[in-house]
Amino acid sequence: MPEISLFKEVSLHHYLILSALIFSIGMIGVMMRKNLIVILMSIELMLNAVNLTFVAFSYYLNHLDGQILVFFIMTIAAAEVAVGLAIAIAIFKKFKKVDIHFFERLKG
Amino acid sequence: MGSDILEISINAIKLIVIFLLMVQLVPFLVWVERRGSAFIQNRFGPNRVGPLGLLQLLADAIKFLWKEEFVPQKGRAFLFYAAPVVALLPGALAFAAIPLSVPVYLEKFELFGQTWGPYRIAIQGYELGIGIVFVLDASSLGAYSLLMAGWGSSNKYSLLGALRASAQVISYELSLGLSLVGVLLLYQSFDFSDIISAQVGPLSFFFAGHDVKVPFLPNWGIFYQPLGALLFFAATFAETNRLPFDLPEAESELVAGYHTEYGGLKMLMFYIGEYGHMLVASALMVTFFFGGYHIPFISIEGVRTFFLDHGFSLNGSNLLTSLVFHLVFLLKVLFFLWVFIWVRWTLPRFRYDQLMDLGWKVMLPWALCNTIVTALVLLVAKEARF
Amino acid sequence: MEGLLFYILAAFILVFSLAVIVVANPIFSALFLVLSMISLAFMFFLLQAYFIATVQLIVYAGAVMVLFLMVLMLFDLKKEIDIFSSGQRLGGLKIASAGLLTGLLLWSIHYSIGLFQLQPEKVLDAQGQMEQTKTLSVILFTKYLFAFEALGFLLLLIAIGVVALSRIKGGTHARD
Repeated sequence: MPEISLFKEVSLHHYLILSALIFSIGMIGVMMRKNLIVILMSIELMLNAVNLTFVAFSYYLNHLDGQILVFFIMTIAAAEVAVGLAIAIAIFKKFKKVDIHFFERLKG
Repeated sequence: MGSDILEISINAIKLIVIFLLMVQLVPFLVWVERRGSAFIQNRFGPNRVGPLGLLQLLADAIKFLWKEEFVPQKGRAFLFYAAPVVALLPGALAFAAIPLSVPVYLEKFELFGQTWGPYRIAIQGYELGIGIVFVLDASSLGAYSLLMAGWGSSNKYSLLGALRASAQVISYELSLGLSLVGVLLLYQSFDFSDIISAQVGPLSFFFAGHDVKVPFLPNWGIFYQPLGALLFFAATFAETNRLPFDLPEAESELVAGYHTEYGGLKMLMFYIGEYGHMLVASALMVTFFFGGYHIPFISIEGVRTFFLDHGFSLNGSNLLTSLVFHLVFLLKVLFFLWVFIWVRWTLPRFRYDQLMDLGWKVMLPWALCNTIVTALVLLVAKEARF
Repeated sequence: MEGLLFYILAAFILVFSLAVIVVANPIFSALFLVLSMISLAFMFFLLQAYFIATVQLIVYAGAVMVLFLMVLMLFDLKKEIDIFSSGQRLGGLKIASAGLLTGLLLWSIHYSIGLFQLQPEKVLDAQGQMEQTKTLSVILFTKYLFAFEALGFLLLLIAIGVVALSRIKGGTHARD
């Protein structure tokens, strides 16, 4: 296993480590927060972390397919936000709050 | 980017000068707006301070500086102060990506006892290969300052204005982007300089095996994309929140919309942001549809040889040529800025549902139609040259 | 130079992302998310992915986050008192599991050093950026054409679904 110098030169692994950290932050946000919209935002953070990985691989392996995947992920993320916010508005209309707890009461 | 210290410093100064150009046009435009509105409404307008009321701007600036600073009691101070600063960003970022004149080529010359190598200086803040997309996304950041101002001042009128503004900006961004797709298909480039250099000379194109030449018209984009130009110009009105679309600050309904609580220098910064947005919109209009900095029927070489024949050195005539083309560009931009002001004082305001109907049910389908027709025509006229 | 830019941007992204999940007011967390998205777009510029960077700015910063802010402002939420969903023990468990995942990821990254043949591209000039965008679109419309069409279909479905969802009436805002 070769030695790497973290502070001298930026390589692929710096980007991967950064991406892993952002992903974990997003995951903690999804698990811990109450507010539905903040949970959606944390999901956006996780998706962004994945995007960063793809772009970094695409740059360092000199292969453009990674950027196409980022393109697809962004489209799906935008669509997911639209649906998520519509659900949030429906919840807010019903309970005047957007807590994740109210999902327990969604029956029929 | 610069390779030696002189080129780097020239590039840095260039950025500052372009920003100052944007800021300095604002007092002039305010003057034009006030005098122009007075002219349209058969009044005098400001005419006491200085010749033609020109010094009114200076008086206004001094007045703005001495206004009291305040934050609404229940407002969020940070957002309240940040919003006017953020309002400056989109205009400044977008304007720096637009080429303002012919690039200057400088031969070797002596300065400070050293020889400085040949340079190519683009009269543009930064050259991006994907400049058009960059300008679009810089201007899409404009909604934030409105939202921050609306929510930061904790006032229902401000909040309503901000919500209206963001809905409007999101809706019209679609037709703004789609109306440009025709231009992109036509010139097959995201680069401003490619698009500008394709619009030189008289109108001539190659269509379905025939060479078509119209010697009395310039080769401008508006003759290929009239619908695109119309849609683009209408969408920029909505993006800049100017009058037929100024629902966010409709004074008869919302006092002053998102800047109800602002005064003094912060208010002035919103003004600079708005006029900067107008400036960018006009510059884009000129660049895409009216030949950019080119003078119809006069080539760059012609101007340069004119200066060379009149006894200027090579570097001097290059610089002067660039200056002449820059002035032509500014003239064209000023014309469109005048159109902005003219429309503002002529047309009444839309109702909100009319605004949304226009955006989604009229402009979006027409922009899509324009894209498809352009693509089909380009497919039929194979190897079309423009 | 590139290293310095990377560390500055990375610090920005990490601080802003942490702020997103820690700040109590959802509007402020949305604004922090905007800042972190913009920093990420500049990191994409650093990685020579120019088109993706601009798309990131348009889609995320220009459209998605404006939508978030708009919805949040429509709700007019009162200040949240307890922003986290669980008690001390369960919360600790969640953070521990997230830490475990992070450790796992970092460990695998550490062991993957030297597995890839790295051949980074050069810094692209204006012409190179155009060429890259062109290649990207050619790949999108040849190799990934089916995925592209499927995505278009998905977007249509989602547009219909969102319209159907937002027509739900009930609660305090019901008219009839």
